[in-house]
Amino acid sequence: MTTLLRALHAESLKLKRTLAFRMVFIAPLLVALLQFFMGLNQRRAAQPGFNLWETIFNASLVIWAIFMLPLLITLETALLAGIEHGEKQWKHLLALPIPRSAVYASKFMIALALTLLSTLTLFGLSLLNGYALIKLRPELASSAPPEFLKWLFVVLKLWTASWLIIAIHTWIGIRWSSLTLALGAGVAGTFFALFAASARIGKFYPWLLPMNSLNLIEGEPRDTLALLIGGLGGVVAFGLGCLEFTRRDSDEPETSMSRRFLLAVGAAGIALAILGVAMQSAKSDPAPPKPSSVTPADSRPGS
Amino acid sequence: MLAIETGRLSKQFGKRLVVDGIDLRVPSAQVYGFLGPNGAGKTTTIRMLLGLIRPDEGKVHLFGDVLAEHRLALLKRVGALVEMPSLYPHLTGRENLEVTRRLIGAPAGAIARVLDIVALAKDAHRLVREYSLGMRQRLGLALALLNQPELLILDEPTNGLDPAGIHEMRDLIRRLPVEFGITVFLSSHLLGEVEQIAGNIGIIHAGRLLFQGPLAELRARQEKRLLIGVSSPEEAARCLEAANRTVNLRDDGTLTIAGASQADAVDVNRLLVNQGFDVFQLTLSQITLEDIFLGLTKNAETERSDS
Repeated sequence: MTTLLRALHAESLKLKRTLAFRMVFIAPLLVALLQFFMGLNQRRAAQPGFNLWETIFNASLVIWAIFMLPLLITLETALLAGIEHGEKQWKHLLALPIPRSAVYASKFMIALALTLLSTLTLFGLSLLNGYALIKLRPELASSAPPEFLKWLFVVLKLWTASWLIIAIHTWIGIRWSSLTLALGAGVAGTFFALFAASARIGKFYPWLLPMNSLNLIEGEPRDTLALLIGGLGGVVAFGLGCLEFTRRDSDEPETSMSRRFLLAVGAAGIALAILGVAMQSAKSDPAPPKPSSVTPADSRPGS
Repeated sequence: MLAIETGRLSKQFGKRLVVDGIDLRVPSAQVYGFLGPNGAGKTTTIRMLLGLIRPDEGKVHLFGDVLAEHRLALLKRVGALVEMPSLYPHLTGRENLEVTRRLIGAPAGAIARVLDIVALAKDAHRLVREYSLGMRQRLGLALALLNQPELLILDEPTNGLDPAGIHEMRDLIRRLPVEFGITVFLSSHLLGEVEQIAGNIGIIHAGRLLFQGPLAELRARQEKRLLIGVSSPEEAARCLEAANRTVNLRDDGTLTIAGASQADAVDVNRLLVNQGFDVFQLTLSQITLEDIFLGLTKNAETERSDS
């Protein structure tokens, strides 16, 4: 335990003068600025039932959950691992009298801490946004005061649901020294979230879990599942990654994905897709009426 | 007691046997030179000594204990600098030391102590990005010294340094066993690098240990050789052989006699001149350690290509 604390203490010093640390504040600032200008042009103020706080928090958190946070996680984990790839620091770190697991755990925890700090910064900036907008446009003021605790709880849930992405990216960042590969994986994951959102798999898709934690789909609360898969799954994924790291017979990261690994990922993806389709069809037609089955000839109209 | 002892240490990468049954014996409190050409398996051996990779066969003993079973406890007593130093360029020299100090939980005073040893105290506030190669190497050594190690493992510590830097580093390494009782295991591809500071050496080539022992033992193999320049060398060679001397006629027409002394030189000269040969060169030369080193590795090369 003390070893882990020492590793975290050391890790925090490495952040000095890094882009990784600056991004923690730049990312929420971008979102908050966008919200501020949208607030200045807000036209719905006169409508009944308008709640400024609700509007600001919902809009900020959606951008944060679906887009900014996954990309921030990608960048942070890649940069944190990159600090060690730059001059092959692994051979120095791993020859020190500290367990490999402490080295890996400290990387994961620093990524957790930085994303929490960033998400809380967004929370703070959103409150600031509200007060600034009320000052500039008094007609926007809601009758209701901001519900601090409610939104703080929402923000913490969102962050917890992102643990799985953090664990996945911590592993990718450390396993491969290529920054391009790490960023590519994150961008691909975030991008496919757009498609997964409308599919059944959206409930489980790691990059969508922060979004799901917001419970925006009416009548279908997804936050419990998001917390379960995101939070608990994140801890499990971290454990697996850590196990792989401590067992590895090398002090150097791979430079690129081996063909075998790509094949394994591809096969797993296809298997999941087939499973998803199978589950979907099993649920969508509980009693398949016979006439609905089409003959091959029917399915090719015009041939 | 031996600081490092390995038994039949082997490591294979794919189909290539990089380290092939190495038995190292490194005595305490002196400098051990681990010599071999580039690609001989030095760094792979060192990685196994530090537990960075696992041997396929054989065991590493440090201070008498098996590394695989007591890795953390043993590494507490070891400092290492493998290849180029691993430094954080965006941090200052002092911050680099502080990162490792926090990791290993060394006392705060350790930083000043090691900065003093490597003479970097006045540059410690500068970013490592601005450091020269020599300064980086010294900072790497300082990192390795932070935990007051009993054993220091240095892999090619003078690689890429200019002559002044090499000299500085060599002085530093020489002081460590004397002033602090540290065992230094030093790898190099240049014999000249270690011959002035090492007590024992091991010569590795193509994964195999060709020689291991005190430098003095290798020196004993150095023998004087008489080089003779003479008119009509074939006849002169026959004449010397008639006088019971083993002569070697070289391609350039000179003769050599191995293991010759000054008295032999005098005898040979008298004999040849009396027989009417014109002797225009007579040199008593010494085979250098470098020659022996090259000879050993070359022999191994031909043995391999023969087999």
